[in-house]
Amino acid sequence: MTVATLDTRTPMPHKSERGFFSLMAPGARRAFFYLFVIGVGFIIAFPVLWLVLTSLRPASGMFYVHRGTEFTLDNFFEVFENRIVIKAYINSAIIATLATVLSLGITVTSGYMLSRFRGPIASGWFSIIYVFRCVPYISWVLPLYILTQNLGVYDTYLGLLLPHIAVHICFFSWLMKGFFDGIDPSMEYAALIDGCTRWGAFVRVALPSAVPGLAALAVLCWLWTWNEFLFALLLTSHQTPVLTVVMAQFVHELGIEWNLMSATAVMALGPALLITFFGQKYVITGLKI
Amino acid sequence: MAEVVLNQLVKSYGGMAAVRSIDLTIPDGAFAVLVGPSGCGKSTTLRMIAGLEEISGGTISIGGRVVNDLPPKDRDIAMVFQNYALYQHMTVYDNLAFGLRNRKESEARIAEKIAHAASILSIEPLMQRRPKQLSGGQQQRVALGRCIVRHPQVFLFDEPLSNLDAKLRAQMRIELKRLRERVPATSVYVTHDQVEAMTLGDIVVIMKDGLIQQVGTPLQVYNDPANLFVAGFIGAPAMNVFKGKLDAAGEKVMVEGVALSVGERNRAALRGHAGREVMVGIRPEHIALGSHGNQLEGSVDVIEQLGSEMHLDLKMGNAAFTVARVAPDAPIRLHEKVTVSIPAERLHFFDADSQQAIRPASLSGALAA
Ligand SMILES: Nc1ncnc2c1ncn2[C@@H]1O[C@H](COP(=O)(O)OP(=O)(O)OP(=O)(O)O)[C@@H](O)[C@H]1O
Ligand SMILES: [Mg+2]
Repeated sequence: MTVATLDTRTPMPHKSERGFFSLMAPGARRAFFYLFVIGVGFIIAFPVLWLVLTSLRPASGMFYVHRGTEFTLDNFFEVFENRIVIKAYINSAIIATLATVLSLGITVTSGYMLSRFRGPIASGWFSIIYVFRCVPYISWVLPLYILTQNLGVYDTYLGLLLPHIAVHICFFSWLMKGFFDGIDPSMEYAALIDGCTRWGAFVRVALPSAVPGLAALAVLCWLWTWNEFLFALLLTSHQTPVLTVVMAQFVHELGIEWNLMSATAVMALGPALLITFFGQKYVITGLKI
Repeated sequence: MAEVVLNQLVKSYGGMAAVRSIDLTIPDGAFAVLVGPSGCGKSTTLRMIAGLEEISGGTISIGGRVVNDLPPKDRDIAMVFQNYALYQHMTVYDNLAFGLRNRKESEARIAEKIAHAASILSIEPLMQRRPKQLSGGQQQRVALGRCIVRHPQVFLFDEPLSNLDAKLRAQMRIELKRLRERVPATSVYVTHDQVEAMTLGDIVVIMKDGLIQQVGTPLQVYNDPANLFVAGFIGAPAMNVFKGKLDAAGEKVMVEGVALSVGERNRAALRGHAGREVMVGIRPEHIALGSHGNQLEGSVDVIEQLGSEMHLDLKMGNAAFTVARVAPDAPIRLHEKVTVSIPAERLHFFDADSQQAIRPASLSGALAA
């Protein structure tokens, strides 16, 4: 029939086929794409590569990283023998994990409230975390320093944990709100009718659907605290050394021990990479919702 | 089963009223369909009955018990949602069992009830699947099953068929009718599709702007629409409406310069409106080609061939109207002049200002009672 052939005769040009790229052959287009990806990848990977290289060079070869052929693991051994570094490593892991675990519950419920509830309590809470987000991060530090001193929690786990939990809640509640916005609330309505309380509908229906979001949240919280420097610098000292701060202490009056600092940094990279590797699936699907 | 009574029900969001004042009694076991255009407050009304929406004013009672302040779980209702709202992280079986487990029924009883519901809906092979692995029609059945297993006093449906394609929708409509025989319960069904309303409802409730326009059986709302809105909303193709003027005796009405007899049935009611402007309605399917009784002449503007019948759009001066049920092989050409006959007894009259129907006394009396 003629009707069937009508639309095949004049195919509409596909949107992406117009413009500059349409002038290239498909092969050239693909080559261009790969070149671009490799270029961007290189820009991102280069500092990391340099860091790893530096960590493998002897102290004498620091400023000729690109030239020498002499490689060594001595930097790592030296760092491992440093009690402070090991202690800081463990402290950082414990604090990142504890802060994540402790903040997760509040962040999730707070995100859920922001997503589902209207009214004075929800909008009040919204304003509070909004204000905290608007304040420059650095301006929290001095009050926190004085506060932790006065409360006697300066340079303890608690003294660093509490501010971190607060930051997690303020910064990641939004993320969680986004996840819940993407989950159809009628599932919870069905649960209410099926005999659940409001809390029950949240825990038994909304929460299981938010698992990818929760996993993404946990990864982001953990990495945040693991990498955080400013709070750690001002709220901790010799009692509770933290990795990022210890790393910075290779800069001292006698110069900068680039090789040791690099080795520590590479060690710090390990868990972060591991977490990212296992968590990225969730982070990606979580952020897609 | 239980009677559902809405008494001066009001819902406002901030200053805006979504439901303005609804009085409605749905008898025990009846299937009531709320129908109306988008945004008229159907879903809001339903959600208030379910307890998912707070009530701004009035009362709702189910089975003689005022439920205004009861949470949804204590109202003994079940609801089917437009997007099915199945629990995505559970199997079909667990979806069906969820409500029963909440009521602490034994697993054996639950299995029995689910088997029964599954056989009614023919969803037995799907029990171990997850909602994402089901087609729209299958999800719909599971959602129905989740309601059936609980044996609630009242079923609530919010546009359950609107996400299905036309064919499946027609099929599910028939299944819903069958289901009613096997699982009788008072039901409130929301739709904007007047075909669903007519075919499913014992009672059709037509709403607009948060108010009920008319309540009646499907035939009542079709035969005697209470106002112009209902007249235009119920029936497809929609009722033709003309501006007209009654003569001094109230026995003839002038439409586009043609005098039509108003018919025996309407004469008494129209007497009070003699000499005034009125709106005259006639359904496309009640107009016939030919020249007996009241006649109008128009030129054919559009021909719609449906196979089983033809629809003609005719132009007559400034007015236009549709004629349905024309024989599909009738020798009619575009732009040709045709004469149609309008049975006087089928005419509907509406007040030009209030848009309310001017109905024979016997009828308005019967409806008010
Ligand atoms: N949460 C809300 N806040 C403010 N206004 C609302 C809210 N929910 C509904 N409304 C308004 O109330 C009115 C009725 O909404 P409702 O959902 O009951 O319409 P409906 O008849 O179900 O329409 P549809 O056929 O589109 O589903 C609409 O005008 C809508 O904009
Ligand atoms: Mg609706």
